Amino acid sequence: MRFRNPLLNWIAERPGGAMFALVGILLLLAMLAPILFYLTPIRKVPLVYNLRNLQNRWMTTAVTALAFTLVTALLTGMLAFVRGMDRLIEASGNPGNVMVLSDGATDEAFSNLPPFVAQDLPSDVQKQIVSVPTDPRDPGKKTPLISQEVYVVVMYMIPNAPPGSRQRRFVQMRGMNDIAVAALVHEVKLARGDWPSPAGVKDLGNGETAIEIIVGAGLARTFAADLGKSELELGDTVTIRDRKWVIVGVMEEASNSFGSEIWTRDAQMQKYFGRENSYSSYVVRTENAQMANLAVKEIKSFKRDRTLQAYTEREYYAKMTDTSKQLSVAIYVVAFIMAIGGMLGVMNTMYAAISQRSKDIGVLRLMGYQRWQILLSFQFESLLIALMGGALGCLLAYLAVDGQTVTSLISGGGGGGGGKTVVLRITFDLTVLIVGVIFSILMGCLGGAFPSVSAMRVRPLESLK
Amino acid sequence: MFTRIYQQLAADWVNLAAALLAVVIVGGGLAYVLLQPRLFLLGLKNLRRNLLRTMLTAVAIGVLAVMITTIWTIIYFIDLIQTERSKDLKVIVTYKWSVPSQIPMNFKDYLDPTSPGLLLKLREPPTDQGKPLYGKDDFMIWSFFGGTTDPQKITPDTLIFFFVMHPDQIIPMMDDLGDLDPKLVQAMKEKPQACLLGKDKLKAINKQVGERFRLTSFNYKGLEDLDFEIVGVLPDGRYNASALMNMEYFNAAFDKYENKFKAPHPLAHKRLNLIWIRVKDRDMFDRIGGVIEDAPEFNQYPVKVETASSLIGSFLESYRVIFMAMKFLLVPGMLAVMALVMANAISITVRERRTEMAVLKVLGYSPNQVMLLILGEALFVGALAGMLAAGLTFAFFNGLWGGIPFRIGFFPVFRIPESAFLWGLGIGAVTTFLGSAIPAWTARSVKVSEVFSKVA
Repeated sequence: MRFRNPLLNWIAERPGGAMFALVGILLLLAMLAPILFYLTPIRKVPLVYNLRNLQNRWMTTAVTALAFTLVTALLTGMLAFVRGMDRLIEASGNPGNVMVLSDGATDEAFSNLPPFVAQDLPSDVQKQIVSVPTDPRDPGKKTPLISQEVYVVVMYMIPNAPPGSRQRRFVQMRGMNDIAVAALVHEVKLARGDWPSPAGVKDLGNGETAIEIIVGAGLARTFAADLGKSELELGDTVTIRDRKWVIVGVMEEASNSFGSEIWTRDAQMQKYFGRENSYSSYVVRTENAQMANLAVKEIKSFKRDRTLQAYTEREYYAKMTDTSKQLSVAIYVVAFIMAIGGMLGVMNTMYAAISQRSKDIGVLRLMGYQRWQILLSFQFESLLIALMGGALGCLLAYLAVDGQTVTSLISGGGGGGGGKTVVLRITFDLTVLIVGVIFSILMGCLGGAFPSVSAMRVRPLESLK
Repeated sequence: MFTRIYQQLAADWVNLAAALLAVVIVGGGLAYVLLQPRLFLLGLKNLRRNLLRTMLTAVAIGVLAVMITTIWTIIYFIDLIQTERSKDLKVIVTYKWSVPSQIPMNFKDYLDPTSPGLLLKLREPPTDQGKPLYGKDDFMIWSFFGGTTDPQKITPDTLIFFFVMHPDQIIPMMDDLGDLDPKLVQAMKEKPQACLLGKDKLKAINKQVGERFRLTSFNYKGLEDLDFEIVGVLPDGRYNASALMNMEYFNAAFDKYENKFKAPHPLAHKRLNLIWIRVKDRDMFDRIGGVIEDAPEFNQYPVKVETASSLIGSFLESYRVIFMAMKFLLVPGMLAVMALVMANAISITVRERRTEMAVLKVLGYSPNQVMLLILGEALFVGALAGMLAAGLTFAFFNGLWGGIPFRIGFFPVFRIPESAFLWGLGIGAVTTFLGSAIPAWTARSVKVSEVFSKVA
């Protein structure tokens, strides 16, 4: 989520810092509380009475709060997963990148393009393509940031898979004409190793050769687990399509969709996966988002021997929110129904509390407390239970899931297949925290509303009979 | 999938456990009513005495049971379709190395039991004359034809993704379409451009049965736009977002292209996507699979043979974490919340009724009977609320949408099985028992002297 306010953006991007900030604000409020309390009409509400009751009935309080803890932990944990997915989609794609697919293709997997050179693009677009020096020996020589890519979802036979378990898995492979340039286009860096050589093939030393690949950090973990290792090492090989592929580099851990991909030279992909002389996409880097949008328009209206489909890279990934939208809706539905369960639980507790304490209420009324003060005091009690449980639930979810990496799928819907397997980082950020707290407050308020009204209506003399 | 309740019970251990539990609960309940009728009636009176709180507890248990039934239906269905069957297996033949699978159309001739080109090893010995290892109703081919009704505005609503097949193969081979009206199949055979659409797809393109539409292909660029006539709607459920068209019409489009451009369509040679063969058991699967994978006829485009469950499992691999979280976090979490709600409600009741417990003991009720009274009340509310909630969930989702509308991969809806009633009963009873065990034990241990000394 992007806020207009830069401060909010800063907070949203730094959940740890935000947590500290929140604790700081709460401490400040705690210090200011006596002054604020004295200045508000709420000081006339018998809150101490409610606090003492919560303390005396600590078992009931704890069990009710625990139900809230579980409900809030589940809600915020699920939301953190969706936030991770959203962030990954937001972070995938440079604002200046333009993706070119074949006409009608909505996904790279279904796109088919011939090889091209920059001169095949509209002249206005050619002028917008960013060039950078890529050869340290010749800083004056600039290479345009263009990448021709062939993307194939391939079948990978899991080595040493125990009988009865899954024997094969889909793996996403991307072949590029110049991987180092493609890495600049996609802002991918290597954590270890080097880019594949121009030949793209390595001599393994025993008379065997293997095709050089680099793998995303998320996929590297999966491959390492397949090989029974804690970490994938450079030089390890995997077998795909009855051919050995040697790992020469592992990508840096990053929040984008390439973390679950294998990258190699385009020629190898075309040769082994029936994509002779064809590509899935061209990606070109322009100066900025505005230029990218202009380039998209130019390419769409550009008529040569074939029509092209163009998207800004951000636009392409932004369309892949079908899964996350569906999950968000499902999570809110689940949360809503769980909240009803939690609310009814607190309602039950509060009704019981009121029926046990009707004499107390009578005494309070005789002492001069107004009906609204009784209402607020019981509302405060249920709110406090919900907040205690909710805060603990948020903390529990934060400790349990924040930062965990998981494999999932992002897709654009439409029923035509497609979608990408991605490794995403679950993100418990400020948005999730705020939703969790608001959710707890709402559960507490709504759950306590009816019992508080019934407490307010207790007749003092009758209750003391 | 399994339509009979006994099939559902046999197919899944959770169903079986729920059924056994239901027998125990109902049997135990009946025994309680028959052996302790006074306690049972007393329990009912107690529940009625504070109807508001009884209802609150029941509704709390009920709404959580609704959610668990919903979630468990998805888990149950996903688990079931990934479970290897031992009988009536479906063999799927696809391109070995990448997806989407694209194989030459002539591959069907090697595997079609009615074709003279059927691989010799797929016949009973003597191999050149023996009858095929499987019948014509055990074989089908699929192609995929995707297109848009509005090329200027490609959105999920304008996209249609057809499963292309011979109409005769629909009823015998397609899952859950065995009861399809044969008239629809006949209509597809008579009119090549006839198609069947799921109800969601119909709604998305805003068309009715009998109407026509034109489709511009996106996966076979260059083919002429195809006109379709909607002759029927697919049964409510898993095919709500699907569409079926005739293989003859699909093939004719490629012939037209070739006539027009004097050259085949660039993808014509690999326009077949899947071949399905139904076999009677695992041995036959291994035998047929071995023949196909070793056949030199498939050398140019190597194929792999796997069961439907294995292929679906590969496609669903990316959702694994979501399913695991649903199964091992969400469902247990909700069960825990249910148990806590119940524990709270029952412990409050026990605290309020300590005097009553003491009176019961004075009247000659044993501690175990007091405990049974509390447990009986709780289990009655919990089990009944759970079962009713599951029943309402069943009626609501299946009645309204043909199942739970939660699109995962190729599954647009998940039909709630009849066994869900048993889940509801089990969920309600088990969580109630867990939540009320300690309070009931507390009630059992109430000391008469202590209670009356305080009263005095």
